[in-house]
Amino acid sequence: MDSLNQAKIQKFEEFVDRRLKPDLVRAIAERDKVFEQQKIFSDLRKNIENLEQNSVTNLRTLVNLGSEVYMQAEVPDTQRIFLDIGLGFHVEFTWSEALKFISLREEKLERQIEEYTRLIASIKAQIKLVCEGIRELLQIPEEKTVEGRVF
Amino acid sequence: MEKPEVKGTVTSLSSMFPAEEVQKAANRVAETLSEKQNEMNQLREFIADNTSLINLVQKLPEELHHDIMVPFGKAAFFPGRLIHTNEFLVLLGESYYVERTAKQTVEILKRRGKSLESKMDALEAFMQDLKAEASFFDSTASEAAEDLVEIKEEYEEENSTETESQSGELEQESPSFAEADNTMVASEDDEFAHIMSRLEALEKEELAAESYGENDEDQDTGAAVSDGDEDEDEQAKAVFHRKKYEGYSSLDHDQRYSEVYQSRKPLQQLKGKDSMNEETSSKYHHQDLISQLACTGLTVEPVIKGKMSHSQSMPQETKMLNPSINASVPFEKRVKFEAEHSSRNEKSVQTSKSGFDSSKAFTGSIVEHTLNLEKASPGQTTSQFSGSQTSKPVSRFKMQRK
Repeated sequence: MDSLNQAKIQKFEEFVDRRLKPDLVRAIAERDKVFEQQKIFSDLRKNIENLEQNSVTNLRTLVNLGSEVYMQAEVPDTQRIFLDIGLGFHVEFTWSEALKFISLREEKLERQIEEYTRLIASIKAQIKLVCEGIRELLQIPEEKTVEGRVF
Repeated sequence: MEKPEVKGTVTSLSSMFPAEEVQKAANRVAETLSEKQNEMNQLREFIADNTSLINLVQKLPEELHHDIMVPFGKAAFFPGRLIHTNEFLVLLGESYYVERTAKQTVEILKRRGKSLESKMDALEAFMQDLKAEASFFDSTASEAAEDLVEIKEEYEEENSTETESQSGELEQESPSFAEADNTMVASEDDEFAHIMSRLEALEKEELAAESYGENDEDQDTGAAVSDGDEDEDEQAKAVFHRKKYEGYSSLDHDQRYSEVYQSRKPLQQLKGKDSMNEETSSKYHHQDLISQLACTGLTVEPVIKGKMSHSQSMPQETKMLNPSINASVPFEKRVKFEAEHSSRNEKSVQTSKSGFDSSKAFTGSIVEHTLNLEKASPGQTTSQFSGSQTSKPVSRFKMQRK
């Protein structure tokens, strides 16, 4: 009986270590990426609102040519802005259109983040379940535990 | 060439370098190698970027303005122009920026490229070493898996053959070597020590009795060694001459004697002087025996004591030695050992210092050994050799006849 339980425990531990934990790590990484995107767009929105408020038309910036070598650049007309809408496309917007687009984008990102959060939570729950099962096996060897993946 | 006797130790490679450990070492080296490989790739990318940037910086000043899309954050662009095309702001590190012209920027970038390349060369050299190490480990692992065996044998003057399989790190080998040698030496040391002590005592007595000027008993080993060398040469010559007369080819033995002498000296020093007195006499006998036993078909010169190592056997001499031999009969075995081992030979040489005469079959020109001999009580030795001492020249003739 013990040996059987030992084998079971071994299997469960392996399952946790090999499948669940890496899944968890991957899900968290994906969610972080989405977080970053979200941050980018929120910064952009703030900047555009700033420009609008101050009615900035000209802009002098430093452009990174690579390896931290900068060159001065001038933007004569800030009315038109090109936004990346995904799949390598950049669309010309006016400020107000840009703001609208950015808010739409932000909503989409929020939904994605929520999805990832749910996935991460479920993986964590699975890990906990398996650990609990292992614990039961160890403490009460006679009791038969029914383990299974819960989706 | 395997000797009839089992000498040396046989150690399985796998015992010295366990297969798993070698495997682990090989894996570790492989990991480090892959890490360095990644670094190398990264460095190569940097260098490529640097080169392309140099080209760009050189091209920009050609125009006053360049129309570009100015990035605004990560996800937005503004159409704009590059102005002041000859002014570059370069980051030197630690938040220090400098405004430079295109030419100066190019120089900065070139210097950066050089440092990158030197880093890459260093990495490459390191990787080469790692690769050599990895191949070494792999070969060791395969050899250990094949159950290769390392054979160690003590070096002997006569027919020393040492065979070792080459494998294993030097570090590991040297300690195992030392161990094998030590174990081997240790087992023999006991017997040798016994015989040696006797020989040394006898030698001391001889020296004291004969009062040979050559041997400076009081001198340190260093001096004694130097003296001994001279004496050995002289003795060797004398022996050689005698051999000529006798028609014996003892050249080899002479050489061995000298070797033995030198090796003996340190040994003698080790031995206690007191104990030697009694033993030296018996040692002498042993030496004679040994020399006789060692050589078959070769007539041994009366060298005897010191020259036991030579494995020369003089049937004629044996007669002379008989009286001494009898006493030394029990030592025959040990004598054999001595004959086999160079170290012992040395002892015999040392003990057979000057002046043992005909019975010893050693020409008077014995090697001086180290100081130990001096202290040996002359009385005992003289008693044994009394007859032979005075008859050095006589003994030679005797030997010749024989």
